[in-house]
Amino acid sequence: MDVRAIILIGGAKPEFGPEAESFAGTPLALHDVLGRPVLHRIVDRLQAQGIGAISVISEMPMPPLEGAIRNAQQALNWTTVAAGQLFRVAENAFSDHAQAGAEGVLVLRLGGYAEFEVEEFLQRHLDGRAHVTRAVDGNGAGLGLFMIASSRRNDAAYLFRHHLQQCRAASGEWVFRGYFNPLASARDLRALAVDALMQRVPLASIGEERRPGIWIAPSARVDRRARILAPAFIGAHANVRAAAVITRGSVIEHHAEIDTGTVIENATVLPYTCIGPGLDVAHAVAGGRRLLHLARNVEVEISDPRLMDTVSEHASLRALSSAASLAAYLPLQFFRGLFATSHRDQPKEFPAAAHAPSSALSAPAGFEASREASSFPASLAVARRYGDQ
Amino acid sequence: METNRPVVVKRIPERLNLKQARAFCREMDPILNSDRPQIVFDCSQVKQVDAAGVEMLLQCLSHVIRRDGDLKLAALSPQMAIILEMTRTERLFEIYESSSDAVLSFSRFLPAHLKQPAVFTMPAIPQLAPPRAAASNSAEGAAPADLAA
Repeated sequence: MDVRAIILIGGAKPEFGPEAESFAGTPLALHDVLGRPVLHRIVDRLQAQGIGAISVISEMPMPPLEGAIRNAQQALNWTTVAAGQLFRVAENAFSDHAQAGAEGVLVLRLGGYAEFEVEEFLQRHLDGRAHVTRAVDGNGAGLGLFMIASSRRNDAAYLFRHHLQQCRAASGEWVFRGYFNPLASARDLRALAVDALMQRVPLASIGEERRPGIWIAPSARVDRRARILAPAFIGAHANVRAAAVITRGSVIEHHAEIDTGTVIENATVLPYTCIGPGLDVAHAVAGGRRLLHLARNVEVEISDPRLMDTVSEHASLRALSSAASLAAYLPLQFFRGLFATSHRDQPKEFPAAAHAPSSALSAPAGFEASREASSFPASLAVARRYGDQ
Repeated sequence: METNRPVVVKRIPERLNLKQARAFCREMDPILNSDRPQIVFDCSQVKQVDAAGVEMLLQCLSHVIRRDGDLKLAALSPQMAIILEMTRTERLFEIYESSSDAVLSFSRFLPAHLKQPAVFTMPAIPQLAPPRAAASNSAEGAAPADLAA
């Protein structure tokens, strides 16, 4: 039976606000999980189950991808649409698939990530003899997953015009009992990564398992003085510097940089994100100069490049930046030797590095501090203990 | 051990970047340079803080410690708490839920060794007389120098 698929990215309910199902301006479905975007993982899964023709319709363009995945992206039938046009374009795509000879069309809105078997869903659809069958969880809540008979264009049009919330006739239901992650917030993205690392969901990481539970992509650079504790993932072209600690299920995606002495604990660092030296990033999702603290459930914008920065998505600009910093290294050291008051660097050995205050703070705040205060950071070790503590 | 010195409560601005930190420090300069300053920074309004802001807090703490005073933080906004935690500086400050708690903490300060009844057990050295303060002196309100006498 010829089954085709339409994948919709966006179209969240307006009452959830513009930030729903996205983080740092990018839909969660387009973010990487263990080195591969969620969308590509779903496409791979559908193709492995025999669905060849897949249309992807998105309100946002695909963010820059790591080299190997770029080819897979180009092979996708991708359409970027203006805001508000998502379901109208989906309706046209459904007509195209029907005209091309499809017997059934699978519609997924990302939205959530589900580990489902197309065969099982299709069988339920055929057995139920409904025009539209929707997947629901054990509580009857919709999962944004529909199987539509291609001959039922009016039902499909009605469904799309009601933003997948309402069916024209009574629809069939398929109770899905497998793994489902709603991907409603960055917290869910982190949960998906942890589930993958703990192998609760079979998402293959893009890398080799160097030690039990530690996956490192071949092109990642990890300093030999860095510590990585399983389970963890280091993506392609990521750079983990000396005395950095990656622990408790942390994920460093491609082209991310973790500077000297920084501790990443139970956190995900998204692609092209640079975390400054001597910091503690714990229980968080960090990327695009934004940090979501999962324990406090607060998202903060970090505009200081000494704490968090982004590296260029273009290889040529990155190379230019590296060359510029290399050329400026000696003059900068010379200048510092002449004029700088503090030479404190982040220790490069563990555990001293993990306990030192961030060297991102070593630069003076810029106000006229008194002379006696200028030697402050090094002498701060007079950490006071109070009698009643 | 109560103190009659005033406690200054200062609200930190919403954005604490380099420019704001400079202005804030200029404003705080007379207080920081007073004798044994007791300061509470109310951080409830802080929405954005960068490394320069944290540096400014550390500089203020340094100033105050050198003048034998104290600087406490109160009512940390979630954003401020995250940045302090991220830069490993939250452990350097006393942090209170509210400004009033922080202010009260100055008058309730009592070192642990002064809380206990002054049972002074001197080593049995024959040439020293037993401490006369041991039985009569209450520890509260007594300075360490008194106890040593």
